Amino acid sequence: MNLLEVENLVKHFPVAKGWFGRGKQTVYAVNGVSFSVAKGETLGVVGESGSGKSTMGRSVLRLIEPTSGRVRLEGVDVTSLNGENLRKARKHMQMIFQDPYASLNPRLTIGNILEEPLKYHGVEKKNDRREQAERLLREVGLDDSYYDRFPFQFSGGQRQRVGIARALALNPKLIIADEPVSALDVSIQAQVLNLFVKLQETRNLTYVFISHDLSVVKHLCNRIAVMYLGEIVEMAECEELFRHPLHPYTQALIRAIPVVDPAQRRQRLILTGDIPSQTSPPAGCPFHTRCPQCMDICKKEHPALLTQSGHQTSCHLYGKH
Amino acid sequence: MKNENRFMIISQNDKPKGFFYVFFHHKLGVCGLCGILLFILMAIFAPMLGDMPQGYGDFSSVQLAPSAEHFFGTDAMGLDVFLQVVWGARTSIRMGLMVVLYSILIGVPVGLIAGFFGKKTGEFLMGVTDLFLTLPMLPLMIMMAAILGPSIENVALVVGVLSWPRIARVTRAATLEAMGMQYIEAAKCLGIPTGVILGKHVFPYASSFILVETTMLMATAILAESGISFLGLGDPTVWSWGKILQGAQQNGIFFQAWWCSLFPSIFILLFVVSFNFFSLGIREGLNPRSREI
Repeated sequence: MNLLEVENLVKHFPVAKGWFGRGKQTVYAVNGVSFSVAKGETLGVVGESGSGKSTMGRSVLRLIEPTSGRVRLEGVDVTSLNGENLRKARKHMQMIFQDPYASLNPRLTIGNILEEPLKYHGVEKKNDRREQAERLLREVGLDDSYYDRFPFQFSGGQRQRVGIARALALNPKLIIADEPVSALDVSIQAQVLNLFVKLQETRNLTYVFISHDLSVVKHLCNRIAVMYLGEIVEMAECEELFRHPLHPYTQALIRAIPVVDPAQRRQRLILTGDIPSQTSPPAGCPFHTRCPQCMDICKKEHPALLTQSGHQTSCHLYGKH
Repeated sequence: MKNENRFMIISQNDKPKGFFYVFFHHKLGVCGLCGILLFILMAIFAPMLGDMPQGYGDFSSVQLAPSAEHFFGTDAMGLDVFLQVVWGARTSIRMGLMVVLYSILIGVPVGLIAGFFGKKTGEFLMGVTDLFLTLPMLPLMIMMAAILGPSIENVALVVGVLSWPRIARVTRAATLEAMGMQYIEAAKCLGIPTGVILGKHVFPYASSFILVETTMLMATAILAESGISFLGLGDPTVWSWGKILQGAQQNGIFFQAWWCSLFPSIFILLFVVSFNFFSLGIREGLNPRSREI
């Protein structure tokens, strides 16, 4: 059974421009994204900045109210929960943030940071909370003597571990990690990624791993979804995606990964231009403005998402004409 | 200002410096605190320095220049100006505290709610706030004095009701800034109740901004009280620094008997400046950055 099911998730932000709300515009951040994640699986979400991957992650967790669509966690419709029910349901799904400097309150000790969620989710006794907080610290590879310290006394990697410990405090089923290693040094990235793998094994966690770095995602994920302008343009098993990328955008992304061995150097496929404005996405296929294989139909018709043996892509190259 | 500690190397195991450590190493802040304490002590021990000057003074001691007997001289009625200033400190401190209390009680919740809930609620609350900001203070104070009778409480009420928008705006701005912080988002994600997020995460972030605004409000309150007393609409039964100035003005001795106008003015200035320095020190102490090793 799927742990997480996302159906047609849409998030549009209205932006008022000009005086008196004239020329009101809309940012089409996420346009009808659907996917599901099985228990214990890791889904990687990749895309460049502005592709809507962070907004998608936050909408799933209802940190941002989605405009429309359904999110089901273990069959429970998260999008219809409100007030106290939503607050209680939040413990099943947690987020790990990108910036380990901004995601910890600088005024609280590590102990306070870890105990706070426990306090409001039913762990009444102070001693129990302390014990659990110290266990969490050890679990993420930190010394439990760090309990009384403040965030600024730690390095980025250590802070990110605290952030992970905090997300684990409520024993969640699903963790959405929004670029959790992109703010860290490369040498630290591997350690933190290994921690993710270890925790998944010991706690049977399900991850949605958002990243702009394909090589990071490759090591961690079972499946990968590629996002472009608020849509999933391709989704497949990790190995399949790297071996047979179908969508021209995915092909360009994969060819852009640096290769160490000069003999193996691939011919790079360089995309021209930038990602189009989210307030006025192009008609037809969102990628047609930059696609090296653009056809007439791409400018007019939006391609449907086609599935072939578990490999989904939305591109006119593979449609039936 | 030189700060030797900044260059000392301390091991990672050291605990962060406490608020008081940082505060007491901030020289201006300590100066401000000393000033405020002196004023408070003066206000508390006013009866020991001398009785409240009342009625008419000695006929032979009208408009005496400062001397060992009368430190700040005497006014046109022959009353001791030093004692007037000492007793006036009570009025100023009471006034300031009342105004700050009113504006914090209204302004902080309004600002937090407006900032946290945004959209319709926030826009409505900020509309009300802006409306209050457009009301002119002086005519309202005069009206209040005319309708309810001149008293410190009435003046404080008017100044408080007209000053909370300043606190609300600062609180809202800080709240909006805090809302963009990932740790607030993390707290939401962890299912921490909204009230706790506001109280434990947002308010502490906003508190230093609010404190600074509060100390400026103290200054505004004292100036407003002095102004209204100077216009003769203050409480006639108590001394205040504005009232001393008004007396000097009415009797036409503002410049001749300079001691009647100079000393209360200096006290108003010192009081305001003390609060401003104090706020600088507090801001430094509350700033986690300056507490780093």
